[in-house]
Amino acid sequence: MGEVKEKKTNYSKETPEEIPGVITTTTSAIHKFLKKTKAQDLINWGRKNSLWFMTQPMGCCGVEMIATGCAHYDTDRFGIIPRNSPRHADVMIISGYVTKKYLPALKRLWEQMPAPKWVLCMGDCSISGGPFYESYSTVQNIDELFPIDVFIPGCPPRPEALIQGFVELQEKIKAKKDLGTEY
Amino acid sequence: MDARTIIESLTGKFPEAISEAGIESPIRIRAYVDKEKAKEVCQYLKDSLQFDHLCSVCGVDYPPRNELEAVYHIASYDHPVVLMLKARLPRNTPEIESIVPVYWNANWYERETYELFGIMFKNHPNLKPLVLPEDMLGEWPLRKDYEGFPNKTARNLV
Amino acid sequence: MEEMLEPNEMIVHLGPQHPMQPGPFRLNLRLKGETVMDAEVELGYIHKGIEKILENKTYLQGITIVDRICYLVALTNEECFVGCAEKLLGIEPPERAQYIRVILEELSRLQSHLLGLGEFGEFIGFVSMFMYTIKEREEVVGLIDMVTGARVTHSYLKFGGVREDLPVGFKEKALPILNNLKKVIEDYEGMFYSDRIYRERTIGVGVLTADVAKSFGVSGPALRATGVPFDIRKNEPYLVYKDLDFKVCTETAGDCFARVQVRLNEMRESIYILEQCLDQIPNGPLFPEGTPYGRRTPVMRVPAGEVFHRVEDPRGEMGMYMISDGTDKPYRVKVRGPYFPTLQALPPLIKGTTVADVAAISGSMDGCTSEADR
Repeated sequence: MGEVKEKKTNYSKETPEEIPGVITTTTSAIHKFLKKTKAQDLINWGRKNSLWFMTQPMGCCGVEMIATGCAHYDTDRFGIIPRNSPRHADVMIISGYVTKKYLPALKRLWEQMPAPKWVLCMGDCSISGGPFYESYSTVQNIDELFPIDVFIPGCPPRPEALIQGFVELQEKIKAKKDLGTEY
Repeated sequence: MDARTIIESLTGKFPEAISEAGIESPIRIRAYVDKEKAKEVCQYLKDSLQFDHLCSVCGVDYPPRNELEAVYHIASYDHPVVLMLKARLPRNTPEIESIVPVYWNANWYERETYELFGIMFKNHPNLKPLVLPEDMLGEWPLRKDYEGFPNKTARNLV
Repeated sequence: MEEMLEPNEMIVHLGPQHPMQPGPFRLNLRLKGETVMDAEVELGYIHKGIEKILENKTYLQGITIVDRICYLVALTNEECFVGCAEKLLGIEPPERAQYIRVILEELSRLQSHLLGLGEFGEFIGFVSMFMYTIKEREEVVGLIDMVTGARVTHSYLKFGGVREDLPVGFKEKALPILNNLKKVIEDYEGMFYSDRIYRERTIGVGVLTADVAKSFGVSGPALRATGVPFDIRKNEPYLVYKDLDFKVCTETAGDCFARVQVRLNEMRESIYILEQCLDQIPNGPLFPEGTPYGRRTPVMRVPAGEVFHRVEDPRGEMGMYMISDGTDKPYRVKVRGPYFPTLQALPPLIKGTTVADVAAISGSMDGCTSEADR
């Protein structure tokens, strides 16, 4: 986890150039200020009710992810809408084994998503390797690479479990304890 | 076309290249082929015996015998007989003629067998890794003496 | 590929994450304007090394691994793996178990085709189709769930039989769903025939001829749409398929429209098979009597030998080659997935078409990348 936080501080410049007569600020400074006020509660209320996720089926869980987003389970009623492009999405669901070949692409997808953004680990494969923990081709310990907020166990989890995972994420955002938001 | 006529035709045409031919069941036959003649035998199978469907190409590793085997499963769209054709290759220099000119879809199967077992397919149009990342080439993960499994791969083993 | 670029040409990468794809693979297209000059597929983004893992698991553990080769048709994969081991062991499941297996495999064929139809609809911009088919698919998945207790990966088949009997009231629950499905298939067909945009995007697009398809090693609906009646259930009957009445659905055009039509007709045949099975299913034991095989499989040592077993997957011919050396773990398992050759045939098929057709052609093949990668 430590690595990820260090990276973030590198992106946002803490000490902007001083220009005489001009008061400069940074996004993170604004966020820091907002976090202490009631306005953040309102912002988080908006964020938690619009968690669009990226459809990116990577394994068995991908089928359940698609089924969750469609007519029968209808997650639209919670504001959880499947999107195809990473640029439209707020939540990335790691829905399967991450292979050595796919990891660079996955990191790139994550970087393409606009902040604030969250990651869910869906299924045993992404949590601990699942049935493929000893494969020569997969990457272990995904939680060291992405700031994961919610782990949903199951092989694969049922759609109800995925919806519950989203609800947990909403609770975390409401309590300002999520890792995804750059406060 | 039944199993017996196929075997007789095959051994009659290639008496030296085909060995240990046998019938397992009315729809399964097997034979060993000399590795130099694999392509010619495949050509004959396709042209004269209606074996127009290549099911798969795979490798099998036998470290005690110091051999690798390339196994071709060849079937037909017209009759239900499946021929299992095997070629013995030495384990340190496994090389065999590519059958892509005969069966077009052998292309990917041979690439896969190459990267997983290290069997070189001579005169293959595009012999490069298919499913593994480039830097894993040379590890031959499906060989029996692959060391990385599972000691190197599983970090969470208790 | 990049060295061959001519003026006015460019390379477009579709994937690894793209809405057109059933799973991550990369399609590199060399384009001149809208026309695809050359194409290349890169695989391996979800290569798990299943063949290596199977060598290090006992036969019983292997069933859970083969479930995950192709997550849409876990039951057919299990049938293939269990069938291999049963051939080596020389046992055969009793008739009731065979009927239950056929029922479940046809149900999983139905749900796979429904998802395939929906995905195809989405790829060509007919997104409501996806919602319609997923709604019906949930009913079918519910039926499978009722028997096996899982929606996607079941681990339901055992050596010599099946794990559980059909639950009480299964037939009463299944028949209305199947009757409804018949009506729904009519509706889909009506939509496909009446929608002009749909027909213009599919008729004459991605045409495969019988000879070309055979030389590519294609099987399943993509081959049957070219007029070749190749179906493992007829050519090499396993389970009780030889006692059941069904026909092999073929079309002659070989284009996207024909492939979808074959799937629709196959769904009708599956429903017909299911109705026969539910009528004919005999009472009896689930495991062969007088053998140690049962719900709790004993520690198995499979006799040494080799076997190549084929079954009909919703996507075509699924085969497994199993070598046993007499221990409790297989010496080598080679999985011959049906989508592997079909995906291999994609680059020559899309050469010369436009970018918009790439999604239609790729979608009409009804893919499962997980199975191509394994």
